[in-house]
Amino acid sequence: MDNILSILVFFPAIAGLLGFIVDKESARVYGITVAAIEFLLSIWLWVSFDASNAGMQFVEMIPLIPDFGVSYYLGVDGISLFILIMAALMTLIGMISMSITENIKNMIITLLFLEMTMMGVFVALDAIIFYLFWELSLVPMLYIIGAWGGNLRIYASVKFFLYTFAGSLIMLVGMLFVAYIYHNLTGVWSFAITDWYALVLPVEYQLWLFGAFFFGFAIKVPMFPFHTWLPYAHGQAPTIGSVILAAVLLKMGTYGFVRFSLPMFPDASVMMITPIAVISIIMIIYTAMVAYAQKDIKQVIAYSSVSHMGIIMLGIFAMNAEGISGSVFQMLSHGIVSGALFMLVGMIYDRRHTKMLDEFGGLAAVMPKYAVIFGIMLMASVGLPLTIGFVGEFLVLLGFYQISPVMTLLAGTSIIIGAIYMLTIYKRTFFGPVTNEANKVLKDLTPTETWSLIPLVAIVIWLGVYPKPVLEPIDNSVKAMLEFMDEKAITKEAKELIIVAKSNQGGA
Amino acid sequence: MIGLSHYLIVSALIFSIGLVGVLRRRNLLMLFFATEVMLNAVNIAFAAISHYYNDLTGQMFAFFIIAIAASEVAVGLGILIVLYKKHGTLDLDDLAKMRG
Amino acid sequence: MMENLVYIALFAPLVSSLFSALFGMSKRQTFVGVIASTLLFISFLASATLASHIVSTGTPIHVTMMDWISAGDLSIPFGFLVDQVSVTMMTVVTLVSTVVHIYSIGYMDHDKSFNRFFSYLSAFVFSMMILVMSDNFAGLFIGWEGVGVCSWLLIGFWYHKADVSREENPSISPSWAANEAFIVNRIADLGMLVGLFILYWNTGSLQYDVVFETLPSLSGSVLNAAAIFLFIGAMGKSAQFPLHTWLTDAMEGPTPVSALIHAATMVTAGVFLVIRANPLFGMEEVAGVSYFIAALGTFVAFFAASMALVNRDLKRIIAFSTLSQLGYMFAAAGLGAYWIALFHLAAHAFFKALLFLGAGNVMHAMHDELDIFKMGGLKKVMRPTYIYMGLASLALAGIPFFAGFFSKDAIIETAWNEGTLVLWAILVITAGMTAFYSFRQVFLTFEGDERYKAFDIHPHEMYKFVLIAMSPLALLAVVAGFGMGSFEHFVTTLLPEYHMSEHTHHIAWLLGLVVLVVAVGGIAYAYKKYAKGLKRDEALENSFIYQLLANQYYIPQFYEAFITKPYAMLSEILWKEVDMKIVDATVDGIAKLLYKSGDGARRMQSGNLSNYLNWMAVGAVLLLLVAAFSAMLG
Repeated sequence: MDNILSILVFFPAIAGLLGFIVDKESARVYGITVAAIEFLLSIWLWVSFDASNAGMQFVEMIPLIPDFGVSYYLGVDGISLFILIMAALMTLIGMISMSITENIKNMIITLLFLEMTMMGVFVALDAIIFYLFWELSLVPMLYIIGAWGGNLRIYASVKFFLYTFAGSLIMLVGMLFVAYIYHNLTGVWSFAITDWYALVLPVEYQLWLFGAFFFGFAIKVPMFPFHTWLPYAHGQAPTIGSVILAAVLLKMGTYGFVRFSLPMFPDASVMMITPIAVISIIMIIYTAMVAYAQKDIKQVIAYSSVSHMGIIMLGIFAMNAEGISGSVFQMLSHGIVSGALFMLVGMIYDRRHTKMLDEFGGLAAVMPKYAVIFGIMLMASVGLPLTIGFVGEFLVLLGFYQISPVMTLLAGTSIIIGAIYMLTIYKRTFFGPVTNEANKVLKDLTPTETWSLIPLVAIVIWLGVYPKPVLEPIDNSVKAMLEFMDEKAITKEAKELIIVAKSNQGGA
Repeated sequence: MIGLSHYLIVSALIFSIGLVGVLRRRNLLMLFFATEVMLNAVNIAFAAISHYYNDLTGQMFAFFIIAIAASEVAVGLGILIVLYKKHGTLDLDDLAKMRG
Repeated sequence: MMENLVYIALFAPLVSSLFSALFGMSKRQTFVGVIASTLLFISFLASATLASHIVSTGTPIHVTMMDWISAGDLSIPFGFLVDQVSVTMMTVVTLVSTVVHIYSIGYMDHDKSFNRFFSYLSAFVFSMMILVMSDNFAGLFIGWEGVGVCSWLLIGFWYHKADVSREENPSISPSWAANEAFIVNRIADLGMLVGLFILYWNTGSLQYDVVFETLPSLSGSVLNAAAIFLFIGAMGKSAQFPLHTWLTDAMEGPTPVSALIHAATMVTAGVFLVIRANPLFGMEEVAGVSYFIAALGTFVAFFAASMALVNRDLKRIIAFSTLSQLGYMFAAAGLGAYWIALFHLAAHAFFKALLFLGAGNVMHAMHDELDIFKMGGLKKVMRPTYIYMGLASLALAGIPFFAGFFSKDAIIETAWNEGTLVLWAILVITAGMTAFYSFRQVFLTFEGDERYKAFDIHPHEMYKFVLIAMSPLALLAVVAGFGMGSFEHFVTTLLPEYHMSEHTHHIAWLLGLVVLVVAVGGIAYAYKKYAKGLKRDEALENSFIYQLLANQYYIPQFYEAFITKPYAMLSEILWKEVDMKIVDATVDGIAKLLYKSGDGARRMQSGNLSNYLNWMAVGAVLLLLVAAFSAMLG
């Protein structure tokens, strides 16, 4: 299967098109089957992936507009591989646990299209193709929030769409400018990212371009102060929307920083470490405090997402393999954990049709299984060792310590304030006497719900105890990228700050 | 001696009269006349400048404009008659169907 | 062979926990408790065998199971080190755990979450074993956080209880106390993490051996920073001031939990860390930090003992005494007498666990009543428990030939030997206070008039198998001190030796006598005041000092007023005022501006041709002006 990446990208889309002729009753089964096949394909990709090779693999290249150097150019490396698998997994699990019955066929088709765009973003190696999938991903999500959302769904979906769209347009200008410079320097047009990597740009250009890409990525992440679309989107989106949004769509932003900003603009990235770190620390502390003040469980998780994305951002700008690998790993960890938390909130919402903390209390006695799984996810979310959440957070903080001990200490408060809001909602939801009559008759998790959560619990523990199979390929690619950045950097500061792992020096 | 500038001043004056007509008049027919006045102001300028440079292109253009203006009047007046027949008025304040 | 024993010692508790968890949601099954206890006993046997192996061969066992995290140059394995220090801890932990497990079969008899309890308890032991056995700081941190979570689960074990006011119950509710414990520990854990980062970036590894080897080549400021941050970590787990409030609140957990976690094992993890990292804390460059540790330890010893003097809650008194004894251990460790600290840790584990389990018997008898003012005369119905608690209190008070006498006396002697006379004096006074409050509690509970009758309580002794299970602890509380010499010989092959100076050695009997006189004085005073029954002194109880002590120096109230509440208020403000009214309002403002401008521009579309023509003229003039200007500017 030479075209495995194309298959991964277009299989869900074609299946989605065929979905229109599928019977309404069987739409759900059809969707789950397609997502399962897609997930198996992604696993197959992992199996045939060469972990020792840090470069791009399974590369496909078909020129589309040769005059302008636009080509259909795909590839995958250690950094994108696992995000890809996680996207397939979360789509599958989200679909299995989905409780929506209204317009189910449309939902399935939308999800399959969404899956195509997610796959596309993470395998695209051509800026235009990347941008295409990046923007296309907005449309299904707009539809999911706008059609199945809560009372404020139109406001939330339009805000989500326009906000992220505005950022991406600035990024598009940046992309066009890079291509223009490339043309000026080499005389040929190219939008291939790997060609762009070779460009050594003057520092001033790097800073401007870094800024342009920053808007596109930062709004998607979302970084403070561009984060306010997220609580609305999560608050209004149906469970499946929140799961995919938190697990995969937010990762596009941080992935963009790793794929574009760092290797293309190493000097600018080093110069921007302090501002980005300051924003990240604000994200970590400020949104964690805001999360503590929320009255709605889902909003707590939404704000906590922003806080965790702050950790990821910090790690990306640690400029050493520990930090960046940790950051990529944290992307996976946050995807799984926050996805699971949103699913859990969705399950209680299905039962009580409310997400307000005041309505609950003492659920541990009524729904023990639910309480156990929620508890495990909570512990993973606050970064307990031997769960998936610890590995990334530890590596990120460890890595960033090299840049600034004081900032690391500030960012490290996330382990405290994260515990504060998480334990508080857990106490308010699950502990104490059952005061609300409506809660006394709640049913514990159904088998479908349990079995859609158990794989996630298993992954949370497996990757917490033995992260090596995932961390190693990530680390290889990150090390290679850092070495490349170090070679390419032109300023002295950048050369000093970018740390090439000792085990990789001179090698690769 | 009457020089180029005199012609141009006359042309500008007539153009301004036409412009004021376009801005102030409410009757479509009057607007029509005002545009004709403006066109003819331009014709004067064309002819004068053409003479000044000894280049016949300008005068040729003036003829073109006269020809087009004539056909325009023919079509335009036709439309006006239809409009009048339909609405019973040519006052622009009453013909505001395109309000946004 | 020995390698397998290491794994058996480590994983038997995990198996026990997972096995019990299988039945976590089903109804009470006695066999769950029995099997869990058996597995724990197996773990104890393995630890004891390892201990005897280490004693006889003197060579540590080092096993590496597999890689855990490796990224960049960082490589952390799951590696386990069984040496003199860790094997001591392993044996103590598994021994106390086994007793506590058996005890819990009786104590949790009527609890419907019986199975769940064993699952948590064994999980705790597993985490504690990782903590003490790990061969690197990251592994230590796994155990460190693991015991934190288990402690959270166990303190909040009776999660269904509602929050009440602080006046009614100083710990508010089990779930509140559990969260407090977890969060306070997290504050310290951050310090510990930073300590790990400092060590990693300066030594390139987190393995104990590599780190300790590299230490001498590091600068003084790095060493000091590392020592300070590691000690902050230790302060949280060992509940040193100002992070001490959680420990007394943790008494909301079932009593076996208090005995195991909040007396014998987990809270000593901080002391263990300082002992483990003695190559760092013992360095000349960090003498200041070490002295601070000793001073803080001494302060906490006194501070906690003072609060125990007036408390009426059976378990809280013992909790304060735990806090106080932890202070003693830190004093010893800070002064460089690591092996004495470790010895006191082990001895303390035995008699304090015994004391707590005894208190559990009393609670069981008194239907969960904890106020010692409502007890009295219980010796008639609970003689074995009385004997156990009496023995444990004698050991705690440091009466000759009981375990506490040897270890505590050695600590006090160390303080004299180091010339830190202020510390010595405080520790001596504290020894007197310790004797007083332990016997105040014993006398109020077991001697004097039977005040419980007024509350219609019919106390009864604990099950026999429980009492038998407690006997090893009682035995050790009595005799452990005699092993001091051989223990010193055993652990000082790894830990630095500590010898009293010639001078101290000469007057050792005199120093011991001073302590003894103070201790006996404390007991005698308690006897005079409480043994004949309770005579309440209103004036004393309303005095400022008494109220100050009874309210824990108002520190919990202070934390609530100056940390908890402001945090909640600030969060609320950040959300409602900053996030909603500034950040989000700006975004919406931009959107509204665009919308408004569109709305405004819409009016141009009046439908009136004449208006359009006017606008066209305006546009034409504007264009002309632009053209003219640009022509002028050239």
